[in-house]
Amino acid sequence: MHASSEAAAGDGRGVEFNGNWREYLPIAATNALLIICTLGIYRFWAAARQRRYLWSRTHVIDDCLEWTGTGKEMFFGFLIVIAVLAPFFLFFQFLFPALVARGMGVAAGGILLLFYLALIYLGGFARFRALRYRLSRSWWHGIRGGSDDPGWSYGGKYLGRYFLSFMTWFIVFPWAVTQLWNDRWDRMSFGQVEFRSDLDAEGLKWRWALVYLVPIGALFVAGIIGVGLLGLGGDQIAAGPAAGLGATLLLLLVVFYLAIPLMTLHWFAGFYRKAAEATKLGDLEFRFDATTLQWLGLFLGNVALAVVTLGFGLTYWGYRNWAFMVRHLHIYGTVDVGDLAQSRTRAPVEAEGWADAFDVGAI
Amino acid sequence: MITGKLYDGHSAYPHEVTAVFADSRLTLTQDGEWSEEVDVSTLKRIDSGPNGIRLGRMDVPGWRLVLSEDAARDIDHWLGRTERYGRWIDRIGLVPAAIVGGVITILVLGAGYVAPHWIAPHVPMSWERNVGSAIVGDFGDLKCRNAEGQRALETLVERIAPGATKGPDGIKVAALDVPVFNAAALPGGYIVVFKPAITESDTDALAGILAHEVAHVRRRHVTEALIRELGIGALIRLFAGDIGANAEQVVALSYTRGNESEADSDAIAMLRSAHISPKPTAELFAHLSKEQKEGKGFGAEFLQSHPLSMNRAEKFAAAFDPNSHYSPALTRDQSDALFNICWKRPGQR
Repeated sequence: MHASSEAAAGDGRGVEFNGNWREYLPIAATNALLIICTLGIYRFWAAARQRRYLWSRTHVIDDCLEWTGTGKEMFFGFLIVIAVLAPFFLFFQFLFPALVARGMGVAAGGILLLFYLALIYLGGFARFRALRYRLSRSWWHGIRGGSDDPGWSYGGKYLGRYFLSFMTWFIVFPWAVTQLWNDRWDRMSFGQVEFRSDLDAEGLKWRWALVYLVPIGALFVAGIIGVGLLGLGGDQIAAGPAAGLGATLLLLLVVFYLAIPLMTLHWFAGFYRKAAEATKLGDLEFRFDATTLQWLGLFLGNVALAVVTLGFGLTYWGYRNWAFMVRHLHIYGTVDVGDLAQSRTRAPVEAEGWADAFDVGAI
Repeated sequence: MITGKLYDGHSAYPHEVTAVFADSRLTLTQDGEWSEEVDVSTLKRIDSGPNGIRLGRMDVPGWRLVLSEDAARDIDHWLGRTERYGRWIDRIGLVPAAIVGGVITILVLGAGYVAPHWIAPHVPMSWERNVGSAIVGDFGDLKCRNAEGQRALETLVERIAPGATKGPDGIKVAALDVPVFNAAALPGGYIVVFKPAITESDTDALAGILAHEVAHVRRRHVTEALIRELGIGALIRLFAGDIGANAEQVVALSYTRGNESEADSDAIAMLRSAHISPKPTAELFAHLSKEQKEGKGFGAEFLQSHPLSMNRAEKFAAAFDPNSHYSPALTRDQSDALFNICWKRPGQR
């Protein structure tokens, strides 16, 4: 009973998305209608329907994926997490103003710091649990993925590394993020085959340096041009201060709203390409080829779609994002389907409750 | 006889099988070697589309039988319907579900908006006081503790609302040394005035502001806002997701437009019976409203919590009766003491 499925069949990419927007339209439209009519509660079922469609139109090697997560389990998962978190949040919500009102500013600050640390820890934990849940509900050839790690220690590592990044003006951020990627994927498996990831920040550091250098460079160049203009237009000095102030403000806006986000996007584009290549599942290897411009096209396209359709386009963001990921993904190598046995991991019950509560589900 | 592909749920190996449906049973055979019978009632339809029809078994996770699309016609009547929108909605149909859901949504939102107004008057003042003192405490170092100033502040409240500061449910008014132009009514009958509202406005205008806050307390608007915030606000935020992002928001109460206008009318009535001119209040509101248009910083916080328009200033201005005999809200000495309420003797903590 040994047979292998060779990736890189078909168009040579091993994975393809064959959905189309017309076929998805009834799902998008009814999801939007029901979400509005149910005060948003339907969004769990809507997410399940969306994924069932997207997974079923994603062909991996020789068969399509299947999503078995349900709206009900996501809804209950969310309720479980809220029941756990609500007392915690209420406590902080009342404790903080109570301390401020008593003039205990330092204690209030300390409490607030604790609160944020807890938020970051839980954010990391949530990200791990969401990945674990998604793998556990993703099936291929009747086999699913999962993880036996509950993610508590991952939350600690996440907090520690983000804290370190923060303390170093985010200079060590590439190191932190790549290590976290490894920590996450090394705990995941599909069937009884484990994911292995040996991502490092080599080659990503320069890209990260650009996040600092490009804005500084822009300010520097603008400064030189500004001084030059002042020198030339000495006789028009009267218009100087106001115009100079305006130009400075404009420049700062450009730097903060354009240069920094663009350079960060440029870094993440490089990160995902490298991360895919560093991750393996048995003999399967991955490649991801989306460039910064293509990512930018995706985001701008999403925004434009939402604007042009007066908001309805929002219902297509999930579709577009998934299609983008799949269309830029390549899978190489072979799977011995006779050897790929069913996963023995336990499937989490709280679904994506944590990720939902912390709004980190998108990544 | 239909051919298909079987995954047994144990390994990823695809078995080529022939499937025969008969007598509520599905018989799967592989090249005459091996066969298996499955009760049709345990089958569920997973998906049907361009990739064929995909069946699962309720008793074996991962068991999948993939048949070609043209087999669908022959086996359709053996299978239940595919779940589409979710079990409840499938049962009653999309349109009825949307209508029922829409009606319930409107009712819930309506109740959430109206209910606090009905419930608030029935909440025992002692409960609210407990919540209030838990949140507020004694304000610590923020509170201005000049005794004469405090007396003058209480006299001012008594002047506009006689008896308001007396008794177990009496209003407790405090001046806070916070460099923000604002005043607020807090849960539990607390009214706070920040220093600039005392030092930068006329005593008669301060009387108008205080009367407005006293009205919020007496009409239980604070309780109402608290219920609204904890009730419908929490519900909406819950299902709109993103609890974490909102969690750091401290309880910031906001009143409805109706509440604000009611508090204004009460304040005008209080000023009238105390024989205090509403004109300085009108002038203050007009001044703030003008600054709001010009986007100046002064009083920005006050405007945020008390959305102001020229209408409100005009309402106070219209209440001015030229034939009426008005007297100042406080004596000269009292006003001076109030002005200095946040002043500390050197060395005083």
